[in-house]
Amino acid sequence: MGRPLIHRSPMPGLGLSMGITLTMISLVVLLPIGALLLKGASYGPAGIWETVNRERVWAALFLSFRLSFLAATFNLVFGVMLAWVLVRYRFPGRRILDAAVDLPFALPTAVAGISLTALYAPNGVLGALASGIGWKIAYTQWGIFVALIFVGLPFVARTVQPVIEEIEREVEEASATLGASRLHTVRHVILPMLAPAALTGFALALARAVGEYGSVIFIAGNIPLKTEIAPLLIIIQLEEFNYDAAAAIGIAMLLISFAMLLAINLIQVWSRRRIGYV
Amino acid sequence: MSDASSPVPFHSATEEAPVARWLLIGLAFAGLSILVFAPLIAVFVEALADGVAASLKSLASPDAGHAIRLTLTIAAISVPLNAVFGIAAAWFITKFDFRGKAFLITLIDLPFSVSPVVAGLCIVLMFGANSLVGGWLVGHGYPIVFAMPGIILATMFVTFPFVARELIPVMIEQGRAEEEAALTLGASGWRTFWTVTLPNIRWALLYGVLLCNARAMGEFGAVSVVSGKIRGHTATMPTTIEMLYQEYLSVAAFSVAAVLALLALLTLLLKTALEIRHADQLAATHRH
Amino acid sequence: MHIEIDEISKQFGTTAALNPVSLSIPSGALVALLGPSGSGKTTLLRILGGLEFPTSGRVRFDGQDATGLTVQERRAGFVFQSYALFRHMTVFDNIAYGLNARPRASRPTKAEIVRRVTKLLELIQLPDIGPRYPSQLSGGQRQRVALARALAIEPRMLLLDEPFGALDAKVRKELRQGLRDIHDTTGLTTVFVTHDQEEAMQLADLVVVMSMGRIEQIGKPQDIQARPATPFVREFIAA
Repeated sequence: MGRPLIHRSPMPGLGLSMGITLTMISLVVLLPIGALLLKGASYGPAGIWETVNRERVWAALFLSFRLSFLAATFNLVFGVMLAWVLVRYRFPGRRILDAAVDLPFALPTAVAGISLTALYAPNGVLGALASGIGWKIAYTQWGIFVALIFVGLPFVARTVQPVIEEIEREVEEASATLGASRLHTVRHVILPMLAPAALTGFALALARAVGEYGSVIFIAGNIPLKTEIAPLLIIIQLEEFNYDAAAAIGIAMLLISFAMLLAINLIQVWSRRRIGYV
Repeated sequence: MSDASSPVPFHSATEEAPVARWLLIGLAFAGLSILVFAPLIAVFVEALADGVAASLKSLASPDAGHAIRLTLTIAAISVPLNAVFGIAAAWFITKFDFRGKAFLITLIDLPFSVSPVVAGLCIVLMFGANSLVGGWLVGHGYPIVFAMPGIILATMFVTFPFVARELIPVMIEQGRAEEEAALTLGASGWRTFWTVTLPNIRWALLYGVLLCNARAMGEFGAVSVVSGKIRGHTATMPTTIEMLYQEYLSVAAFSVAAVLALLALLTLLLKTALEIRHADQLAATHRH
Repeated sequence: MHIEIDEISKQFGTTAALNPVSLSIPSGALVALLGPSGSGKTTLLRILGGLEFPTSGRVRFDGQDATGLTVQERRAGFVFQSYALFRHMTVFDNIAYGLNARPRASRPTKAEIVRRVTKLLELIQLPDIGPRYPSQLSGGQRQRVALARALAIEPRMLLLDEPFGALDAKVRKELRQGLRDIHDTTGLTTVFVTHDQEEAMQLADLVVVMSMGRIEQIGKPQDIQARPATPFVREFIAA
């Protein structure tokens, strides 16, 4: 006898809550994604490959992925540090700092995009400073890198913060009584405990950055082969009513999203098995 | 001889040396200043570059006014719909035992890892004039893409997980006992929901709605794709910012941006207040 | 009310929480379901209260088939292990909840509700705590409020899941007597679940010893102590 699909329960509202959930998720998420996949299926793997396998598309996909990876890596280090500072230290301005970490979540991407551009353009405050030493940020890959750091900033810090709060001081004290230096304790006791959460945050930041559009297009300059990101390529194809090409690139990006979602889930399964929490 | 009154230098075993501590705090301030505070200030500085009057005047233009109204309307429709979904999904997932629950949760989270542009593309392919469904709807006078319903769908797609994600952990932690108690006391399902469940999840619900609303009003990528950005018709605040910016109307663009930035600040303020006052009833501050 | 459990079984997935069990509880009895965790005693209690559906078998109240009755229709006063008090309501509102939940036609007037809640607060010997919130009460007070809330609906039976589980030894002894007194004044058929054999033996008229989803023995406390029916019972009551 197999497990029943749904356990009978005297809790009310099964039909209603299941109905709303499945109807809305189908209408809003699954059917539209299905439409994209269907378009891809009608196009065939060969057709998709033909569209994707062009220098300009490869350049855009590679650029998006490479810079997203670099930005997420930066956020991995900075986020863990930020979480540590916010949880462990008491100093004036901590609350403001804590709230500021969430600003990239709350600030619309288009707003972030134009204001980062204004700051880092050669005539902007920070851009002028940088160009003094011959460093051009806006309208180069550096600009994209800065924008992707901005949008991914909260992920690592926010996933790691609760884990640091949960670390028992006794574990650190035990390490100290065994003769370990503080640095040794941090490296061999604390960081390994934070690793799964930090990796989850990293993957979330990466997924967000790969798909990011609004905050990047203003600062990127959008020069084909150099600073043109993959989502922009979809928009360009759509504006030319080139739906097949847009769908092909869209499917490539969707597959990257699925792969990263899978990676996030695997990290969580792995960490649960290893440490007992995420 | 040592002076008995001088304090013994004691270094806590679980703290970093003061130098390291202040270095880390300094780095945190410096990093957030360059990455977060500076752009935020820049929005207001650029908006007020020609004075308050110029900024207000650009906001009073018909196009800006229409964009603000449209954005508010979109949020007023999509956020409550997503709240209803979030409550229903959280109820279904936490009050019943069924196969495939983990898969369903993954599906709900899916929109967070899909690029907004791809989300918009999906909706265009599903409901665009040259798709099967969209063609039929357009033929009957109900265009979805390049019209309000498309923008609402796109907004709902990108904000889909917010409320459910916040409610599910809270409701798992609260368990089913209070609802069961209400039922044994003779309460109907609706009564149980309104008098027992809702009061227990109200702060978490508000928290989720707040985040959902911030994202709904600010969504750019997905809306760009489906709206067609027709001025005075389907241009929302974020897409209006883009158009004004590309026409080198810097003050006008940043003035609209400043309104959205103020909204973001208000969201953060309310969010922080909720986190301080109702930490025990939120998932975000109460993990594990 | 006379409760009859006829060949009730319960499967959770592939594991059997209850093998078919049968049990007859005479009207007005105070019965303990005694057993270690995982013995199926809580599942059986929840089936009686309508919080769980049996996989097979029937439940009868006074000879009438009650298996299909909803939780609300059963009118079982249920006291939860964690008490499940509504944390956002005052003690008064908690106790009045079931009366307010009645359809308008059978709902008592406001004044009548106040009268009944006041009476129940006196019954549990906590006349002054009406305006307080559950978080402001001690464990023993919460337990008594949960009991009063269950009694407010004028239940046909009283079901208690580990009613003294979360309390310290001294309070536990006091409340045991309290439950006995309330049972004796109301005359309600009462079933409580416990893993504490001393508690079961002292309090109950009839003890049902359970293990691994089966009933090992049914009997008066002194009979079970004198003549354990199985090695399990012998070992369990000796512990």
